[in-house]
Amino acid sequence: MNQHQPTIIRDRTPVSDAVLTLHDVKVHYPVKEGLLQSVTGHVRAVDGVDLTIGRGQTLGLVGESGCGKTTLGRVIAGLVEPTGGDLWVNLTAEQQRDVDRLRAVEPASMTAADRAAWQSLQTGHRLGSMSRENQRAYRRNCQVVFQDSFASLNPRQLVRDIVGRPLRVHQGLSGDRLNAKVGELLDMVGLGSQHMYRYPHQFSGGQRQRISIARALALNPEFVVLDEPTSALDVSVQAQILNLLVDLQGELGLTYLFITHDLGVVQHLSTTIAVMYLGQIAEYGPTDLVFNDPLHPYTRILRDSNPSLDGENDATEWELTGSVPNPISPPHGCRLHPRCPVARAECGWSVDDVLTDIEDRAPLLFETISRVERQDDFTADVTFDTEVSARAFADRLQASRAHDAVDRPLEIADATVSVSFREVPDATLQQLREGRLTSCTRTQNLGALPPIHETRR
Amino acid sequence: MADSTLLTVEDLSVHFSTSRGTAHAVDRVSFSIEKGETLALVGETGCGKSVTARSILKLVPEPPGRYASGSIRLANPDGSSTDMLAAPMREVRAIRGERISMIFQDPGKALNPALTIGRQLAEVFGEHRLGMILERAGLDPDKARPTARRIAQQRAGATRRRVYSLTNRVTSRALQRSIDEAVMAALADTGIPNTRKIMASYPHELSGGMKQRVMIAQALACDPDLLVADEPTTALDVTIQARILELIHEMQQRRGTAILYITHDLSIVRQFADRVAVMYAGRIVESGRAIDVLTAPQHPYTQGLLAAIPRPGTPRGQLEAIPGSVPQLIDPPAQCHFASRCKWAAPACSAAVPRLLAVRPMHETACFRYESAESVGMPQEDMPARIHHEGATAE
Amino acid sequence: MTALASPRISLPTDPNHRTAAGVRWERRLQLAREVLRNPLTVFGLVIIGFFLLMAAAAPLLTEQNQPDAYQAPRDWSNIDVPPGTDGHVLGTDSTGGDVLYGIIWGSRLSLQLSFTVVFTTLVIGTIVGSIAAMRGGRVDNVLMRIVDIFLAIPELIFALAIAAVLGPSFENIILALASVFWVKYARIVRGEIIRVKQSEYVAAARVVGDSTWNIYRKDVLPNSLTPLMVQATLDMGNVVLIGATLSYLGLAQAGLTEWGAMVSAGQSGLLAGEWWVSTFAGLAIVLWALAFNLVGDGLRDVLDPKMEGR
Repeated sequence: MNQHQPTIIRDRTPVSDAVLTLHDVKVHYPVKEGLLQSVTGHVRAVDGVDLTIGRGQTLGLVGESGCGKTTLGRVIAGLVEPTGGDLWVNLTAEQQRDVDRLRAVEPASMTAADRAAWQSLQTGHRLGSMSRENQRAYRRNCQVVFQDSFASLNPRQLVRDIVGRPLRVHQGLSGDRLNAKVGELLDMVGLGSQHMYRYPHQFSGGQRQRISIARALALNPEFVVLDEPTSALDVSVQAQILNLLVDLQGELGLTYLFITHDLGVVQHLSTTIAVMYLGQIAEYGPTDLVFNDPLHPYTRILRDSNPSLDGENDATEWELTGSVPNPISPPHGCRLHPRCPVARAECGWSVDDVLTDIEDRAPLLFETISRVERQDDFTADVTFDTEVSARAFADRLQASRAHDAVDRPLEIADATVSVSFREVPDATLQQLREGRLTSCTRTQNLGALPPIHETRR
Repeated sequence: MADSTLLTVEDLSVHFSTSRGTAHAVDRVSFSIEKGETLALVGETGCGKSVTARSILKLVPEPPGRYASGSIRLANPDGSSTDMLAAPMREVRAIRGERISMIFQDPGKALNPALTIGRQLAEVFGEHRLGMILERAGLDPDKARPTARRIAQQRAGATRRRVYSLTNRVTSRALQRSIDEAVMAALADTGIPNTRKIMASYPHELSGGMKQRVMIAQALACDPDLLVADEPTTALDVTIQARILELIHEMQQRRGTAILYITHDLSIVRQFADRVAVMYAGRIVESGRAIDVLTAPQHPYTQGLLAAIPRPGTPRGQLEAIPGSVPQLIDPPAQCHFASRCKWAAPACSAAVPRLLAVRPMHETACFRYESAESVGMPQEDMPARIHHEGATAE
Repeated sequence: MTALASPRISLPTDPNHRTAAGVRWERRLQLAREVLRNPLTVFGLVIIGFFLLMAAAAPLLTEQNQPDAYQAPRDWSNIDVPPGTDGHVLGTDSTGGDVLYGIIWGSRLSLQLSFTVVFTTLVIGTIVGSIAAMRGGRVDNVLMRIVDIFLAIPELIFALAIAAVLGPSFENIILALASVFWVKYARIVRGEIIRVKQSEYVAAARVVGDSTWNIYRKDVLPNSLTPLMVQATLDMGNVVLIGATLSYLGLAQAGLTEWGAMVSAGQSGLLAGEWWVSTFAGLAIVLWALAFNLVGDGLRDVLDPKMEGR
């Protein structure tokens, strides 16, 4: 828990009740090396996520593989323990404001009333400190539909036992009462009680996903995490399942967290969308607005890369360069900047960015580096085999975007180049307009997505 | 075979014997590919598109597979043609990689995990471009010593290479440089930035997009006439998919390679393919120019498939799903396989197999709605509501 | 839906009214049919059936020797007679023991050996492997290092050492083999459980909120057992093979109608042309091991989870 850390107060105006509110949630996996298995670093799968899932809405969580969306889904479903941050359950809009305010206050400087409010919020709504009873109720209330319906149904159980399992566990149903309830659930998802005594492998992919949905709905949950529920299905069957999900939501008043990499599907299904990149939320807002007027370069790139059926997809200049950075030591400042087409000086350049860049683009030069001596991530002396290489390196750097971010001119002494970049705080998700949040520092400053053409390469 | 035609598939049927009967994975499929064009073969899981693709390289395992009928003729430069299905295995092997090559959905599985990328590509060059390698090393391909040949082919053992490099230092270096340069050029061609680093890497050290680039470099190393791409971007993220598609397109422009592009994703087709053939349950149900098929689909299945894709304008939760699921292909009855899911289905649809008919120039579809009762030999009342060619109104 | 009907009456005439138990049996029958489709498996099963019958009917087929049935009756007037001699269909050994009697009663010992060893080691191995995999962490580390120590020593030598320390007797052979075989099962079970634990249906069961024990019982164990069953079947043959080796090396009581001991006893006569004792006993061992291997392979083909259900 790190509610005592000084945190940036985010200007968010919660408008609705939330089934779940995430504050600075982190999942860091230790990387162990050597004989003694000493921890040498952490893979930051999820690295400080703030997210509110409003009651009744469908929140789409989009991102590419490795961005942490599945891990985040598993944290929410209780399958992965977060290594940091808080999950708050069932906060009203007012309570969300209270939590936001109180998190920033040191416990010592709280007034008595604040302390009492904070205490009651913690015991009543925070996973981990609320009563076991409430925690179990939340778990019952939050169910999951997994991606691969073949893998998520026990191949040795009958459909009746799969769908009826939550009922047995939580309501102690059995025999005919169980059968009746399972029959109802199967009817609800478009199957029938005649399917009860069959094994999962006797169904097609779409039908299996219906069984998964029936299981998830058995306990009348309010909140369902849909982890890429249609990505293993063909389009024609995907359409059936998406329609079913929308119908069920209308009938039962469900809240969905829809995790996917498919922009077409998320645009169709979600009311609100959160775009993830490298363990953090890059942009958050109402789906239509985010698609029509993205406020983060990454969102724009995702949208433009997605092949579309309608209209020519112009060859776009919005594209990513380079490869996905190492999640053990993600870039400083904005995480996208080394690959971003509109990155500028303020985006958080550091020594690693420069080194990675020449490793990729000038491998021969990279091989002549003999030593890198860093004071910190932003300042280092890079020594080359020859002075010629050092000059070539300095020239390269001076011609690159990163050079705008140096805080003093490069110093070249013999074969050593001293580089020093301005230190930039990590980018944070901030509200730019009503309901629109972005973590792009340039967009935050400009008030709109920076134009691509004026950006010097 | 017209002069410009590269490959003609005629009446191809591929059957698989299973414990429950014979699966008709591909059922009398015919199409052709022109030189330098891109044909997209589109369909859902199990429609037979991958089996068709593999048949072209004769890669379907026999048994359980069996080429039940048809021919796959590849035009030779001298005007003759080779039937891949009838040709002796030696000839087929010579064509694979040299004239037709293939990239797969999962490049991780298609690359040998035990060899470095450089070595794998060197093998391709050693296999298909031995003369070029030797020549560039300053050796006469006809007179080169067997050891030099084996080294160029990557078939020499470590000792043999060592001995050779000690006794023929200059040639040995020239040979190695020649191989490395060929490999590096092939990799650089696919936009891989740090070719030296990639050459020394093993497949598991690379990202999915990078592996697919390596696969493309390998497939195009010998300037094949036809590249069969079996869902090469399905396992990749959208941003990388866009790059890979661009790369394939650009390589095609530069080299004039024809491409058979297998995919389930109709949205890729629009930007990428000249012509499209839509497969359903082992048969081609519609084919034509990509723009025609996508903007004015004629077969009910193609129409359904297009309507099922979520688009910005579709009201939430009101996608037009095709009801039901794909029928079993085991000993299938002689009928239109889409009949069970088709809203137009009539008794005729369950009684005979519709032919592929031209509904306008270069646009064919296999649906009884375009046929008259007389030509099929069925009573009028058994036929589905009819559509006249060119017109889009039903009777 | 026949909701809330009075005590359930099964209606076999209605194809839609099926019971869970019925469906499970159907599935088992279907698997059995698949197994029986392979002629080699059927051949193996026939041999096993033949041995089982032989063991069951031993007192009927032969006149039981008194006081110890597992010592062949000595016919001192017919020593080393070849097969076909009157009263001795398969001949006798150098002490006048009837070879046929030995093989028939030996089948009982082989059965006893393989069932006791395989069953006990299966149970021990499953328990140890399950604890290691379900607990993980330090418990897993300690248990698996113990298993590693056992696996580092070749099983035959290890069994030999144990049997030698305990002294020559058939019971000690069983004990020796049991102490060797459990490690293999422990390792298989652990690997399978760790694989199954990562599957999404276990994640799904956790989301549903079921207890760890229930998840183990319903999801983890049933899906981990297939390779174990195959290995156990193969081991039914292997155990007899190794047991025979131990008794061949003299670790069973002298004169026991154990096939390995018989091969050993007949060995001295081989050079003199008296081939029948070792040959027939050896043949029995080979057939036994072969039969279980054929059945094990057949089971593997059918039960292989990669093939299942597709």
